[in-house]
Amino acid sequence: MSFVESPPATELLTLDDVHYRYLDRFVALDGVSLSVDRGEKLALLGANGCGKSTLLKILDGLLFPDTGTFHAFGSEVTERSLEDEQLSRGFRSRVGFVFQNSDAQVFSPTVRDEIAFGPLNMGLEPDEVERRIGDTLAMLSIEDLADRAPYQLSGGQKKRVAIASVLVMNPEVLIFDEPTASLDPRTQEWLVELIVDLNRVGKTIVLATHDLATLDALADRCVVFSEEHTLVAEGTPEELLGDTALLRSVNLVHEHTHAHHSVFHRHEHGADHHA
Amino acid sequence: MTDASPTATPDWLIRPELGLCPCGCIGKRAKADFVEKTIGSASNLMRQSMFSDDVSARDGLLQRVDARVKLVGLLALLVSSALAHSPVVLIGLYSLSLGLASASRLSLRFFVARVWLFIPIFTGIVVLPATFSFITHGHIVVPLGSWFGTRVGLTQQGLTAAGLIVLRVATSISLVVLVTITTSWPRLLAALRALLVPRMFILVIGMAYRYLFHLLGSVSDMFTARKARTVGSDANTKRDRAFVAASAGALFGRAHALSEEVHMAMVSRGYRGNVGTLASARLRATDFAFGAGALLVTLTAIGVDHVVR
Amino acid sequence: MHIPDGYLSPETCGVMGAAMVPAWMTAGRHVRKVVTSRYVPLLALGAAYSFLVMMFNVPVPDGTTAHAVGAVLIAILLGPWAAVVAVSCALGIQALFFGDGGVLAFGANCFNMAFVMPMVGYAVYKIGTRNLSLTAPRRAVVAGVAGYVGLNAAALCAATEIGLQPSLFHTANGTPLYSPFHLSQSIPAMALAHLTVAGTVELVLTAGVIAYLQRANLPVLRINHPGVREDDSTAMAPRRLGWRWGAASLGLAALLTPVGLLASGSAFGEDSPEHLNLHKYHLQTVPNGLAHYAGFWHHALFNGYDFSNDRHPALGYIASAFVGMAAITVVVFAVLALVGVVRRRHSSSDSAVDSVRA
Repeated sequence: MSFVESPPATELLTLDDVHYRYLDRFVALDGVSLSVDRGEKLALLGANGCGKSTLLKILDGLLFPDTGTFHAFGSEVTERSLEDEQLSRGFRSRVGFVFQNSDAQVFSPTVRDEIAFGPLNMGLEPDEVERRIGDTLAMLSIEDLADRAPYQLSGGQKKRVAIASVLVMNPEVLIFDEPTASLDPRTQEWLVELIVDLNRVGKTIVLATHDLATLDALADRCVVFSEEHTLVAEGTPEELLGDTALLRSVNLVHEHTHAHHSVFHRHEHGADHHA
Repeated sequence: MTDASPTATPDWLIRPELGLCPCGCIGKRAKADFVEKTIGSASNLMRQSMFSDDVSARDGLLQRVDARVKLVGLLALLVSSALAHSPVVLIGLYSLSLGLASASRLSLRFFVARVWLFIPIFTGIVVLPATFSFITHGHIVVPLGSWFGTRVGLTQQGLTAAGLIVLRVATSISLVVLVTITTSWPRLLAALRALLVPRMFILVIGMAYRYLFHLLGSVSDMFTARKARTVGSDANTKRDRAFVAASAGALFGRAHALSEEVHMAMVSRGYRGNVGTLASARLRATDFAFGAGALLVTLTAIGVDHVVR
Repeated sequence: MHIPDGYLSPETCGVMGAAMVPAWMTAGRHVRKVVTSRYVPLLALGAAYSFLVMMFNVPVPDGTTAHAVGAVLIAILLGPWAAVVAVSCALGIQALFFGDGGVLAFGANCFNMAFVMPMVGYAVYKIGTRNLSLTAPRRAVVAGVAGYVGLNAAALCAATEIGLQPSLFHTANGTPLYSPFHLSQSIPAMALAHLTVAGTVELVLTAGVIAYLQRANLPVLRINHPGVREDDSTAMAPRRLGWRWGAASLGLAALLTPVGLLASGSAFGEDSPEHLNLHKYHLQTVPNGLAHYAGFWHHALFNGYDFSNDRHPALGYIASAFVGMAAITVVVFAVLALVGVVRRRHSSSDSAVDSVRA
């Protein structure tokens, strides 16, 4: 069982009827089946607390389903199977995760150390590690932050460092948990462009979001979570954004009434009031 | 999912708050609880003193020396100060620390304050009883009358002993602070690793250090937020204690949640329990010079001490 | 109870450091058994928590400082060896950044706060929570008591290290070179501060966090308590204090016997004739009967509880205590066995005999 050669299948990651509960009590996923195809941009939509983050963590082998299976690159991924060093290395280097909370992701003393963390764990040669660090710093325009302590940086800078620390491992699949949340507009724009570029060079993208404004750019295909922790719909961004009844039923938009002079006006607003 | 009808806004939210001063001014400043003030400002101070790296970034003598050499040199000098019996040698070593401080672009006032303001004063309080004749017997040089027939006063032995301790403590702390303040945190950790401190300890120290940064920030945030909600003369200490107790629990909960996320982030990038570090730098001439100097001073101090004894 | 550099001679520092090296090495190995890499962040959190708790200290004249440590809490949550690692790390950070606790004295400080405290506290906790469910309120109370006992054990060790210095390390004219406080000063001073203030803080903190976890986050408590039943919903067999409890208390009492040495003078009514202060009792000579029977047990094994001519009275006390207890135990068991034999002879006609395991 090795991840060295990946079969030329189109399905990279597959979840089959997955259930998960926190602390044995709180349901997070109640029977979810999903597959991620090579080269696509997949978005998970849903209100807060519906299970998107949990699903992403299962896709990165950080949590394991209570029931149901998870297959990656043709092999099943379980807590036990990841104890094998070679398997683990193969899996971890091919899937990268960018967390919603950058503070959790940047924990090393300097930015340089932070970016080096992944490659060193992969066992790359020091020269190769140095080279990759330099390239990644340049690519994300953070060369001047190389010797700073990450936890002292601003939100946007931390995000760049977090992404750098994942990109440097050159994963095939990139997972983003609420990538644009709490970013200023310019950084948001930069990030959307970056994700599109990465996809264009062949990376598979999976992201969880409730930001409907950027959905069109960030996703080819979307799946929708209901508040009952199951998947209820699938489609392209245009199809789903047009289905307001569906979006309202899963609490992704709400109806808003306001007045223009004396005429009352009703329209839909997404969570960020830009739709 | 049905449309939720907007809930009515409560009356008290629409009217101005009657508790405030009727003239509309902000009101008298409530005397902040001593505990709040102390904890809030102390945590800020700690955060600054532990996590600022401006001194280690300056271009001074000690900043140019390799961290491993500094640590070893530190140990040697500490041993020599521990073996010294005469106050003269100790004063000499202390002066050396002052010299090194100024050569490393440290403001002497800051350095002396940083060293003396805490531990040596504590130590002074603790050893003060030792100067009295009923603790340290000997030749009384400052008589203080008599107590039920026996003469009482400060003894020469007691004063010398107290003086020796305070000098030792001050010298030791000066040397330690010098090394840590002129070395950036990651280099310090790497040096400890090079001195064969086990990986598990390095890992825990590094993470604990980072937690402290966040925890100290949360502590002062919590107290600032609490002050912002405090109106009137809030002298209710029982509530304050309950607040502190609840905050401690909440703090623990938050820190724990963060720790789980951190761990996941590490595992996600391949962490399996080993700490890898970037290749360490080679030793240069400056390092050898410093090392030789430290050794020389140590031997001199021990030698002089033997002679002077 | 951080001991700065300057209180302990380099020899003492060396000895204590050498004592800690095997402890650190064992801790490094053992920790991995309970603390899988999943819980390393929790361990680091424990170190940070211990660091903060130790920052609140007050100076103790004739001693060092008094403060809570939190070592027993970490031992309860992640095992005693994890506590060794966590508290050593916290002490290391304090020594390097604040000079709180010396660098040379690091071994001694770790021995007291990172080794003795969690080990003793954990032992008390394990003994006191036998057969308790995970959510039982008594568990939090026992945890608090364990913290209290552990802290004071550590304080006793620190006071001993400090108090031994003047008699061992001084100049010719009697000037103490390091700590000037004798055992008779350091022990009462440290004991008073830790039995009252610091110990109470430790008790409240430990019990408080355990109680909080029992309510809000039981899985964290479960990390180091595999196999402990969660609550008391099933009926329990009546609990009896086992022999282990008794042995532990006796052992503790034995170790504490030398404390009496600190009080000058002897207990009332125990003076031998030579030591009698006749004047005090308005006597002219030693009463006849007393003189006659005074030498009765002349060949008592440990005359005056000491067997080395008063050179190491404390050791003599402890040795005497253990031998005495062993002797008493043998006698008691012999008597019990005899009673058992007699009883069996009388009840051989009865049917089932109740046997309750201790």
